Amino acid sequence: MRPFFQLCLAVSLLLLSGTACSKREKQARPDPADAADTAKILRLGNGSEPQDLDPHIVTGVTEHNIICALIEGLVAEDPETLDPVPGVATRWELSADGRVYTFHFREEARWSNGDPVTAHDFVFSYKRMLTPALGAPYAYMLYLLENGEAYNKGTLDDFEPVGVQAIDDRTLKITLAAPTPYFLAVLNHYSWFPVHPPTILQHGTIDQRSTGWTRPESHIGNGPYVLASWEPDQKITVTRNPMYWDRATVKIDEIHFHPIGDHATEERTFRSGKLHVTSTIPIDRIAHYRDNQPDLLRLDPYLGTYYYIFNVQRKPLDDPRVRRALSMAIDRATIVERVTKAGEDPAYHFTPPGTAGYQTDARISDELGEARKLLADAGYPAGEGFPSLKLLYNTSDAHERIAQVIQQMWKKALGIEIQLENMEWKVYLDATQRGTYDIARAGWIGDYVDPNSFLDMWVTGGGNNRANWSNADYDRLIREASTTLDPTQRFKTFSEAETILMKESPIMPIYSYRSKSLVDPSVQGWNPTILDHHPYKHLDLK
Amino acid sequence: MNPESKEVLHRFLRNRLACMGVILMIVLAGFSLLAPVATPYTYDEPDPLLGIGATPPSARHWFGTDVLGRDLFTRVLYGGRTSLMVGICATAVSLVIGVTYGSVSGYCGARTDTIMMRIVDILYALPFTIFVIILTVVFGRNIFLLFAVIGAVEWLTMARIIRGQVLAIRQQEFVQAAVVLGYSKARIIFRHILPNALGPIIVYTTLTIPQVILLESFISFLGLGVQLPQSSWGLLIKTGAESMESYPWLLIYPGAVLSLALFALNFVGDGLRDALDPRHTRRA
Repeated sequence: MRPFFQLCLAVSLLLLSGTACSKREKQARPDPADAADTAKILRLGNGSEPQDLDPHIVTGVTEHNIICALIEGLVAEDPETLDPVPGVATRWELSADGRVYTFHFREEARWSNGDPVTAHDFVFSYKRMLTPALGAPYAYMLYLLENGEAYNKGTLDDFEPVGVQAIDDRTLKITLAAPTPYFLAVLNHYSWFPVHPPTILQHGTIDQRSTGWTRPESHIGNGPYVLASWEPDQKITVTRNPMYWDRATVKIDEIHFHPIGDHATEERTFRSGKLHVTSTIPIDRIAHYRDNQPDLLRLDPYLGTYYYIFNVQRKPLDDPRVRRALSMAIDRATIVERVTKAGEDPAYHFTPPGTAGYQTDARISDELGEARKLLADAGYPAGEGFPSLKLLYNTSDAHERIAQVIQQMWKKALGIEIQLENMEWKVYLDATQRGTYDIARAGWIGDYVDPNSFLDMWVTGGGNNRANWSNADYDRLIREASTTLDPTQRFKTFSEAETILMKESPIMPIYSYRSKSLVDPSVQGWNPTILDHHPYKHLDLK
Repeated sequence: MNPESKEVLHRFLRNRLACMGVILMIVLAGFSLLAPVATPYTYDEPDPLLGIGATPPSARHWFGTDVLGRDLFTRVLYGGRTSLMVGICATAVSLVIGVTYGSVSGYCGARTDTIMMRIVDILYALPFTIFVIILTVVFGRNIFLLFAVIGAVEWLTMARIIRGQVLAIRQQEFVQAAVVLGYSKARIIFRHILPNALGPIIVYTTLTIPQVILLESFISFLGLGVQLPQSSWGLLIKTGAESMESYPWLLIYPGAVLSLALFALNFVGDGLRDALDPRHTRRA
């Protein structure tokens, strides 16, 4: 009978722990500052463990959150509007033709070891970023530089003609391939951040990855904080940088980044007072906070789109009519109201609403009758004979719910059966990169506030064009927009391109993101920003 | 019916808990089998009136609805089909392999035993997850493969237990007598030794079924087991646990049903052991 009693014990423990949780919830949550002594320590939930802290290698939001504490670019961000404000450069000039920027560096800009930050450091950094052997995933961001693309693709061996030059130690000249109205905003993406050349060269060559220069004992940065410790899967600690030029503005002494991947665990950690800010919030807890503690809950517009990609090289998804029918047959309003529940906007086109004032008429309709007709025209009346496609998503509760709802909507509206397949994040990335999928879930967060960040990824052969879609007119319009100076005309061109994108539907936009987090009231200056950036030097703890 | 089995049956029926267990299992299995007629809802569609969203238990939905508005009672019944089928089939696979392997190893002894047991040790050390992933990648995803995979992993403990039993039993006089009479090894193992080890075999089998049911939920979590929107008890408990604080009924009902099934199986196992044990016969 022993196993039987063990079972009884297990079941009763389970029930007990359930009731214990609900009781604890009613008490006030302890102040995270109690745990600390006099030093001001900000504790942030930061999703997963970062890949690396090398700004030229990483690709994720997790890494961005840490790197922007350690390194500062030519310009910095305004804490409320994210507009470019002086960073390493105090001022800059733009030539009349819109192609040449001249940046003047501040005298007191220093690396954390005391070396001055010079224009030569930036030339070295951009050379490293574009060196083909480094294989930087975001190298294409620097194609804005004149000859940047040629150097990265190996058609140019000499770095001299690339559009970045140090006039002297404190003057940097950047020549762009074409006038780029959003250029200053792009500079706040970490692919444009500088690295400390002596440190890089001390640990390896210019084209070597993972040399260990990002370890706490070797890391040299020029940002408001320096890397103090890195305990994998535990936390990353950054402390004040005494060499930082604007150290008087920095108010918080230490920031701890905690990689807590599980949303429920993160929320519990926040509730027990061990976090000031969470990276997200479990869907089912939103209603609870909205009703009981609305002051802690932040649901802010976030420049990103949640969408599904159709692999246009596979039958029957090679037929635009099929893709449009699928895209029309889902009820986006129901998904955002009943499933995601954080006040997201249903997305009827790819670019999120109000991206730098961009408006478009491009729209996927949600006429069910039209969807059925398109599917019938494509040869599958009422879904007859439609092959059983697989819908791929990375393992997550939220993705799974959305996938099941869409599976059901397609079945009901079009009479087609779809199989669901979930994969672990890295396997999923590999499958979508290699194109071994039928339909895949994806999300895209803008790298800077401009429609280009959403639209230039769908050009033929683009590094992030995982639908393998290609359209000559679309490519032409995107190229045209990149050289158009007049903002109205430029947006019009983008809008035309997006109309093609929606008509061809290699992708199915579902909703526009919201950044979701819990923020402790003691955190001052955590402003809602569209990129979810929060320049740390302006934050304070009360 | 010969008098011996009559007595076994009699002894079993006298055990009230065991009878309750049998009835409970019949009810659970019956409801699961009759799921399509037992409820007016389907397992994959949200309630047409209420739409998507979790609702607490009510007269309309006895167990409430899950976060996607599907009737939980229906999903528990359909889940029972998967879980019970996986539990029984996979356990049967592990039983056949484990009993044969363990008894051969235990009876032959010496070097054969050492080699066979080291093989078991090696297989123990093999990470289960990788094993499952390799098999599903090679053979594709289907429910019968799941039975085979789980069975192929679960037999290890069974083999060890049987080996231990056989080692003890083969020292006894009646086995030596059988050897002297010149019976074949197979006959001695299956006719003389195994009936005496029936107790532990049955008990361990009834304990394997719940283990297997839980294993299945773990594999489903990796995306290799049950295909959504189908359900299984393990899967329902896993998703229920995720939203336990907001919608407790999503964990409580599937959890209660799984616990009931596990209780019932344990009672049946205990009852069978008491009824079948040959030593009891001698005493009686």
